[in-house]
Amino acid sequence: MKNKSKKISKTSEERRESLARLLQEQGLKIYSELDRGEFPKFSVPSRSVSNIVYDKKLRQYVLGNTASIRSARNMSQLRSFAQLIWLAFFANRLVQEKKSSTLRDIYYSSQAFSIDFEDQPESDNIIVDLEAVLARPREDLHIFPEERSSVFGDLTIEYTVPGYEGKRTNLSDHPDGYLIGPSLSSAELVDTSAELVIAIEKGGLFTRFVEEKIDKKFKAIIVDTAGQAPRATRYLLKRLHNEMGLPVVILTDGDVYGEHIAMVIKSGSANAAHLRELTVPDAKWIGVWATDIEKYKLPTIPMTESDIKRIYDLQKDPRYQEGIWKKELEVFLKIKRKAELEAFSKYGLTNITDKYLPEKLEIAKSL
Amino acid sequence: MSSSKESFNQISPSEFFYRNRDLAGFSNPTRSLYTAVREFVENALDACDQAGILPDVYLSIKAVDDEQADPKPYILTVKDNGPGIDSKHIPLAFGTVLYGSKFGLKQARGMFGLGATMAILYGQITTNKPVVVKSSPDGQSQDEYELLLDIQKNKPIIVKHNTKEVSKRGLSVSICLEGDYSKAGAKIRDYVYQTSLITPYATITFEDPKGEKFHQTKIVKTMPLPPTIIKPHPHGIDVETIRRMMADSHFQIPTVDNKMIEKVRKELGLKKNNLNYSEIMEKASKRWPGLSRHVRVVIAVMSFLKMDFEKLSKIRIDDMDIANKILAYWDFGESKSVSIDLDPESEYYKQLTNTVQGETLISFLTKRFQRIGQATAVKFTAFANLKPEKRIGTMTNQELVKLSDSLQKFEDFLSPDPSCLAPLGEEPLKKGMEQFFKPDFLEVVQRGASAYSGFPFIAEMGIAYGGEIKSVGQTVYRFANRIPLLYDEGSDVVLKVVNEIDWTRYKVKNDAPLVIVSHICSTRIPYKTVGKENVADRPEIERELRLALQFLARKLATFMSKRGHAEMEKKRANLYSKYIPLVAQFCTELAGKKKEPDYKKMLKMEAMVEE
Repeated sequence: MKNKSKKISKTSEERRESLARLLQEQGLKIYSELDRGEFPKFSVPSRSVSNIVYDKKLRQYVLGNTASIRSARNMSQLRSFAQLIWLAFFANRLVQEKKSSTLRDIYYSSQAFSIDFEDQPESDNIIVDLEAVLARPREDLHIFPEERSSVFGDLTIEYTVPGYEGKRTNLSDHPDGYLIGPSLSSAELVDTSAELVIAIEKGGLFTRFVEEKIDKKFKAIIVDTAGQAPRATRYLLKRLHNEMGLPVVILTDGDVYGEHIAMVIKSGSANAAHLRELTVPDAKWIGVWATDIEKYKLPTIPMTESDIKRIYDLQKDPRYQEGIWKKELEVFLKIKRKAELEAFSKYGLTNITDKYLPEKLEIAKSL
Repeated sequence: MSSSKESFNQISPSEFFYRNRDLAGFSNPTRSLYTAVREFVENALDACDQAGILPDVYLSIKAVDDEQADPKPYILTVKDNGPGIDSKHIPLAFGTVLYGSKFGLKQARGMFGLGATMAILYGQITTNKPVVVKSSPDGQSQDEYELLLDIQKNKPIIVKHNTKEVSKRGLSVSICLEGDYSKAGAKIRDYVYQTSLITPYATITFEDPKGEKFHQTKIVKTMPLPPTIIKPHPHGIDVETIRRMMADSHFQIPTVDNKMIEKVRKELGLKKNNLNYSEIMEKASKRWPGLSRHVRVVIAVMSFLKMDFEKLSKIRIDDMDIANKILAYWDFGESKSVSIDLDPESEYYKQLTNTVQGETLISFLTKRFQRIGQATAVKFTAFANLKPEKRIGTMTNQELVKLSDSLQKFEDFLSPDPSCLAPLGEEPLKKGMEQFFKPDFLEVVQRGASAYSGFPFIAEMGIAYGGEIKSVGQTVYRFANRIPLLYDEGSDVVLKVVNEIDWTRYKVKNDAPLVIVSHICSTRIPYKTVGKENVADRPEIERELRLALQFLARKLATFMSKRGHAEMEKKRANLYSKYIPLVAQFCTELAGKKKEPDYKKMLKMEAMVEE
């Protein structure tokens, strides 16, 4: 166990160092261009729809080869060029000083350096540009969104944020769970007795699962994705899978959006096609399936127009061309009804944990 | 008739205007003050223009009693450096209505000088004070009159008259009238300002009742060429005018009295000699080209009478019946009437018929109208279905109407002669606008002469952009015959043309600081209303204005794109000097270096590109 944690610690440190090198490389490149009297430039991978392709090998969306040059020579690009180099500069400080920041922070911080963003969407966009240039998620740059989700279970972590360095916490110590924030994202994952990660779409069910001691009953770490999983959450799921070797199962509402929440955890979103660190290709969606709605006779709600449209859209997506992904979409389209996780409460509050979950986990083994 | 209760009295023109002063712009104290200012200032400028003198006009309005509330009496004085008026004409010119000198077909600000007399009349009826006129045509002696109008008799009453020595030529008119400066002030100031703009060769000074002074020294020292009086254009003529023109050209058989005989003798060089009939005829045919028309007619008559001067002095020509080819005369010696046959084969027969029946239509057309040549005249007579050789003296009323109608309708006449117009000219307009607006961009254009309904006109236009012009959007100054058109602009043709232009096509934003000066000059401006503040949208005028504006807008567009380019370069330089140092600062820390890269040479390079 000790051996394992040491290795993990090195991984986290390596990541930080390689990022620092990457930033310095960019800095040096621009420095020498300026010194030679040349206009500096960045090559920014294009994030336009035409450059987003599905990589079957990686099982996620990736950016194609198209990249645009953002040059300081071009007057219309000079401003955003300066914004980009400033962001790299600012992220470097954050990483060096081990401080975290939010998307909103970035927008305001820029003003102290005479870099003017017109609004937050503009600065958010530059952050995505830098992610694409470095091929690193913004969380690596210590920039976090406001949205938070939670985690609960037997997992010991060791903080790396200033003031907490070396301090350890077990994530089962607090019954409301732990926010998946910057300090948790940057913490080393030290030890766990869990054998499984259950990601669940809804905070209410998350609390139920904690109360019903699902963590103990199924030796599981429970993650609340709070709807579409934030990137910090997906990043944590990936680490739990890759670093701790835990399988990930996903439980969502029985509708097309739930199915897609599971898919994004598994193979990422088109929005983050420039990043490779956020997917858990082996993650399994265990419910609620369309077929479950009939099987468990769940109370249902009729689908809306947009629900149905969404099904047609997803049917064009290459990831929905096989297996349960394809099948369940078809069933949804056929029954045109949907069911929420809470629907199980019709058969008693613990019906979902006592009956449904064990059965689905059993089925998952064969997926 | 004596039983009739209705009596018909002839009223004098003064009386007429007194009763209808609203028509002339003297309806209330506000309007009257403004109208009076206009009339006097325009008269002053017209007088100087006609005399070829660079005008120096001084206008002052002073309250008789500062404390009194408006409306109240004001003393309005307008002084110029013009030719003045001969002392003997002054009482009639300023003390009667309808006494003027501004007749004839040429461009002037006012038409008949009526307005000034109206102002004097208005002043008199509101304040009962005389008009004070000081005039010095020679710059040495000045006649000063105080005059009142006898409204019923339309006659001047001279209250006071004296003469004194002065050193300046010119005319000064001062009246006391009821006015409302608090209401009319803005309009009067606008008027003075805009008049200065369109009269850049004039020095104009205005002292208002509050002691504020407007002074504009002349900007150019050349006067526009004075207009000339010209023959009418066929399109601008009516039946009555034709009748008058014919009467002017009508030539009576001269009375053959002793005085006339003396004249004939003199022209033939026979003052002393007494020649017989055939000798006279021989002499006449030798000298024919140099003889006056009267003399030729007498010679022609003599050729049929076969008389010498002595016999001729004893008869009286009674009738010349061209149709029956008979000439009748009374012989004093024989005391009887004699008639002789006229031989149509005689070379003198034509001379007589011409005289009695007037000239031929062709000749009338080519001689009495502008821009009609022989070919056009012939073409026209065919068009009008009138005989080219028709004598105008023999035309019936019906034929006259036909002639008049056809003159209006015939389209092959050349456009009217613009020499009767006096546009300001591109250079003075440009200099005036330059001085007034100090713009970044200025362009003016004078269109060629054109005509509507037989009245020639010329459109001049200027456009100024930026600089000291701070207005949001365009300001349009409209002028007609060098008079500012201040109000009632809604339906004006100039505004119509300006509003219809799509400025975005010329790279001009709608809120761009723009001044447009439009000047239409014509022998007759087609005003839409009696107020003479807006010009009607005659298609010909509209077209000229549009072409002028489009020309100017294109020039402006060229300027704007050049300027846009320069601004872009400047913006570029600014951007570089802002961002490059920042980029340098950031990448230095990012690269882990201490010293910033040498980026200064890049900024210098940029500066060079800009030049």
